[in-house]
Amino acid sequence: MKSYLNIPDLNANSDINLLLRRAKENRTVWIDEYITTGGYSALKKALSKFTPEDIVVLVEESNLRGRGGAGFPTGRKWRFALSNPAPRYLICNADESEPGTFKDRIIMERDPHLLIEGMIVSAYALGASMGFIYIRGEYPTGARILRKAIEESREKGFLGKNILGTDFSFDILVYRGAGAYICGEETALIESLEGKRGHPRLKPPYPVSNGLFGKPTVVNNVETLANIPIIVAYEGYYMNIGSAGYYGPKLFPVSGKVNKPGVYEATMDITLRDLIEMAGGIRDRKRFKAVFAGALAIYSEKDLDTPMNYSPRGFGGTGTTIVLSEDDCIIDSLIVIAEFFKHESCGKCTPCRVGTYEQLNILRKFQEGKATEKDIELLGYLGKNIPVGSICGLGYSAPNAIMNALSKFRDEFMEHMKGRCPAGVCFRSK
Amino acid sequence: MELKFLSEDMRKEIDRYVEAFPTREQAIIQSLHLIYDKYKDIQQDHIQELSNYLKVPVGLVEGIVSFYDMFRINRGARHHIRVCKNLPCHLMGCKGLIRTFEDLTGEKVNQKSKNGRFYIETVECIGSCSIAPAFMIDDDLYNGLNITEESLNEILSKYT
Ligand SMILES: Cc1cc2nc3c(=O)[nH]c(=O)nc-3n(C[C@H](O)[C@H](O)[C@H](O)COP(=O)(O)O)c2cc1C
Ligand code: SF4
Ligand code: FES
Repeated sequence: MKSYLNIPDLNANSDINLLLRRAKENRTVWIDEYITTGGYSALKKALSKFTPEDIVVLVEESNLRGRGGAGFPTGRKWRFALSNPAPRYLICNADESEPGTFKDRIIMERDPHLLIEGMIVSAYALGASMGFIYIRGEYPTGARILRKAIEESREKGFLGKNILGTDFSFDILVYRGAGAYICGEETALIESLEGKRGHPRLKPPYPVSNGLFGKPTVVNNVETLANIPIIVAYEGYYMNIGSAGYYGPKLFPVSGKVNKPGVYEATMDITLRDLIEMAGGIRDRKRFKAVFAGALAIYSEKDLDTPMNYSPRGFGGTGTTIVLSEDDCIIDSLIVIAEFFKHESCGKCTPCRVGTYEQLNILRKFQEGKATEKDIELLGYLGKNIPVGSICGLGYSAPNAIMNALSKFRDEFMEHMKGRCPAGVCFRSK
Repeated sequence: MELKFLSEDMRKEIDRYVEAFPTREQAIIQSLHLIYDKYKDIQQDHIQELSNYLKVPVGLVEGIVSFYDMFRINRGARHHIRVCKNLPCHLMGCKGLIRTFEDLTGEKVNQKSKNGRFYIETVECIGSCSIAPAFMIDDDLYNGLNITEESLNEILSKYT
């Protein structure tokens, strides 16, 4: 047992106790405890009371949006896959590599059966007989826990042939990635899962028609799948969780300059201000400066009252929230993000490969006090053209933060051009 | 065929992957993890032996090793320190932590190990941003906030 014990002591808290019901303490909840606290009752209900079609309709009505970043309606994705002939595959995307994101690991390490139950019910709805959990290589403990939990689930007859005496059969395999952010992109993930280098595929066709081994495949995030047992258990009441069409619990990994960084569960009508409050407020009584949220976009004080939902105005994305205080420099932070994109670009599309490199070089000129107006123009040019020439979400979002910062924090660029850093981070030891 | 690197236990595990997954290619990355776990490095000889054992082209395995960061070859150390340098960890002071690691181990970050004990590598987010600056030594994860030379030395002494 000892090897399972080393799970990180990450702070987790919740007012609504749905996804984090069993996951607030730093330990793994195994199958007996899972069952005595109501676990696998959604699966029993699904198999005894509902047809696969009923489940799909429930998920459609729930308005569940994918929690992996894009916010695509899960029911619609499932419907597309169902319009293509079997065999179909179900893949759980547990690559979780976006900077500042550590929500899926809490579910996998502490309440693994919630994910497994979600996958079984989803597979029943989709008519899938084989599922994979693609977990990032840097989560060795998570992979070990999931493999053991799957074993437990098989022993109890929740996985394998003729689940709970029905003619529905399904099994799950855990597949470890090996350190490549791009493998979170669903088509790159599929390539990697097939045992190749993780280069994204041209879309269309989408995985729902041509996915793993060319077969219809649904790729869903860990948190998305963990919502499925809750939807089946709550049925119509699910729509009472949250408001305005954005229903269900959401996990928010909050990091950076807050007093209690951690994973927080809330409904999506929570505003950024309240979320920061939930995380203990800004560290050392400093002032809030900015936040990286959504698809690594940057927001300012003006956005504090924006809700953390998937509306056009909301933050959407994975729920990731990286908080900067007055001590932190926007340019310096943008450089870290630009280095990340440069490093993780898979290199397939020239505008992404070269553009992420150029963005970084230009930003470094600001940090060195060597930038001019021309560089601001160049950043704008790259911001327009990298996405246009890219085939995947990495290229689409690589200039996001820089473009936001150019409009929301333009004075920071101007000050750096004059050799001054408002936060006192750059130009120090020269 | 004589096998030098794949122990009996590893071969059993690899056989299990081959049996469970629909294709043999799917066993490659999983098997490389076994090699990496044991040798903390992946070398040309390992690649050749795995390719023979799995009966997949050696070029395929090489392509995978060169694509995935975790399989970078030639680290030359028994233990692998990964210090996260992405934004949350950057804000919380990973630069100082890296310097402390360099001082204590006598190694330079991202450079082949000199004394064969530790390899220090900066990595992108390792999904532990609330214990930033976060770092891993082999499979173990640590919180780097408020760490001192003494406490870090104590941690390092566990890895011989
Ligand atoms: C560069 C890139 C990285 C991504 N990384 C992840 C990831 O780590 N986890 C994830 O669930 N989705 C990730 N996605 C989104 C997936 O492509 C896909 O939309 C998602 O897994 C679908 O699941 P959902 O509908 O449940 O959100 C990434 C997308 C891109 C473009
Ligand atoms: S946009 Fe970038 S990461 Fe995506 S496929 Fe093209 S080069 Fe690779
Ligand atoms: S940024 Fe360092 S663990 Fe996430």
